[in-house]
Amino acid sequence: MSVQNLAAYRFDLFVRTIMSFVHISAELVGIWTIFHNTTNIRGWTAWHFLVLAGVYRMVAGGIRMFIVPNVRKLMEDIRNGTLDFVLLKPVNAQFLVSIREFVVWRLTDVLLGLAVSLYGCWRLTHTIPFQTVGVFFVMMIAACIILYSLWLCLGTLCFWFVRIDNIEMVFWNVFEAGRYPIVIYPQKVQTLLTFIIPLAFITTIPAEKLIGDANTLTLGPSAPFIAFGVAAISLIGATWFFNFGIRRYSGASA
Amino acid sequence: MTHLMRAFGAFMRVGIGTMLQYRGEILLWAIWGLVNPAVLYALWSAAAQTHENGEVAGYGRGEFGAYFFMMMVVGHLTTAWDTYEMGYLIRSGTMSPKLLRPILPIWEALASNLSYKLVTLVFVVPMWILFALIVRPTFDGNAWQVALGTISVLLAGAMNFVLGYCVALIAFWSPKLDATGEVFFGVGMFFGGRFSPLAALPPLLGSIAALLPFRWMFAFPADLTIGRIDSLTEALAGLAMQTAWLVLGIIGFRLLWSAAVKRYTAVSG
Repeated sequence: MSVQNLAAYRFDLFVRTIMSFVHISAELVGIWTIFHNTTNIRGWTAWHFLVLAGVYRMVAGGIRMFIVPNVRKLMEDIRNGTLDFVLLKPVNAQFLVSIREFVVWRLTDVLLGLAVSLYGCWRLTHTIPFQTVGVFFVMMIAACIILYSLWLCLGTLCFWFVRIDNIEMVFWNVFEAGRYPIVIYPQKVQTLLTFIIPLAFITTIPAEKLIGDANTLTLGPSAPFIAFGVAAISLIGATWFFNFGIRRYSGASA
Repeated sequence: MTHLMRAFGAFMRVGIGTMLQYRGEILLWAIWGLVNPAVLYALWSAAAQTHENGEVAGYGRGEFGAYFFMMMVVGHLTTAWDTYEMGYLIRSGTMSPKLLRPILPIWEALASNLSYKLVTLVFVVPMWILFALIVRPTFDGNAWQVALGTISVLLAGAMNFVLGYCVALIAFWSPKLDATGEVFFGVGMFFGGRFSPLAALPPLLGSIAALLPFRWMFAFPADLTIGRIDSLTEALAGLAMQTAWLVLGIIGFRLLWSAAVKRYTAVSG
C-alpha cells in the first residue's frame, strides 16, 4: 500500500531523491573541508570518515524507513486516544505498533549510504573482504535492535509527555554527536556515548568493523558480543517500559 | 503606524503565550543549536591537535572554543523557520485568513520569531555559560569589538529573518517544495562558517562563500566578537555589508510579496 500511494506523487519522489543526494553531498563536502586541514584525526583518515558517513546515512535512512513512521503513529494514537483500537486487537500491542508503517522512499538514503561506505572501505583496503562485511552486518543487526529500543522508549514517553510533539528531537540531538567518530571526544564522553547512551554501537563501532583496521578499534574483537549484550539489555528494558506505559494509559474515554 | 505597533504588540503577547505553552517542544528544538556547535568544536579541536602548532587555519583549541561558542549564540539569535513553514501554511489554507487581515503576515511571523528567542533565552544562556566553563575558550575581543559584535549579531538575526522570508515565498509558486528550507539552511552551514571557520574552507568553497550573504550572518559576527577582526575599518565595512544585504532583503520582500499575493489570489480564486 505504501508503494502505491507514493507512485501517485512522482514529483515528490523526484524531489526526495534529489534531497537524498544533496544530504550525502553535504556530508562529503564536510569531509573534504576537514581533510583540507589535516590528514588524520586520532587514526581516522578521510576514507575512514567516509565509511562512517555512509554508515550514518544508512542508519538515518533505515530509522526513517522503519522506525520513525511507527513511533510517530504510536505517539499520535496516544495523543488522540486511538491507541484503544490497537489495544483491542488480538495481536500483541507492541508488535502491531512496531510494524504498521514503513516509508519506502527512504531506501535511497540507505543505498547511498551503503555505496559511500563500501567505496571508502575499498579505497582503504582495495578489496571488500566478505568476512569484514559479514561482521559489519552482524553489528548492524545489534545496532537496529538498540535503535528500535531507544525509539520505543521515546514513543512510550509520550504516555507522560502527551503534549510534546517533537520528543523525537531527543534522539536526533544525541544522534548528531554520532556524525563523527567518537574518538574526537574526551575519554569520559566516549565512555558516556558507549555504555550509558549506546550511540557508539549505532555509528562508530559498526563503521570500525567495516574498516577492519586494528589501529582504530575502540572495543577490539569482543565488540560484537558486547554489542549484542547491550542490544539485549536495551530490548528487554524498552519492552518492559512500553508495557509499563500501556498499563498507565487511560484511553480515549478518561 | 500606531495601529501597526498595537497589532504587533498583540502578536507579541500571543507569541510569548504560545511559546510558553509549548515550552517543552521549543526547548528540544533549541537543544540542537547547542549540540551541533559542541560536536563541531570537539571535531575541530581534535583536528587542531594533529598539527605541531596546535592550529588549523589560524585557530587553536581556545579559538575554536570561542568561535563555536559564538556559533551557539549567533545560531540561536538568527533562528528563522519561515522557509520550513510557509509551504504548510499555504497548503493547509492557514495563510488565507492571514491575508485577509489589514496587516502583512510577516509581522506575525516576526513576533513569533522574537517570542521564541525571548522565551528560550532563559534556558540557553545558562547552557552557553556551562559550555564556556567546560571548554575555556580564548576570547580576544576588546571593548569596541564586542560592542560592534553585538550590533552585528542583531543585524545578522534581522538578515536571516528577512532573507529567509524571501526564500520562503517560493512556496507561493510551489507549495510542495519543502526542501527549500533545508537547502537554504545547508548552504548557510558551509558558506556561513557554521561548519567551520571560513578560513578552513578549501579555496573553491571559500571564493563562493565570499559572494554569498551567509558569511555576514554567521562568520562575521562571530569573528568580530571574539576579536579576530583587528581593523575598525574592516569591522565597519562588515556592518555596512550586513545592512546592505538587509536592505536588499527588504526590497526583495516587497517585490516578491506583491507577486506572491497576486499568484495566490489567481490560483485559489
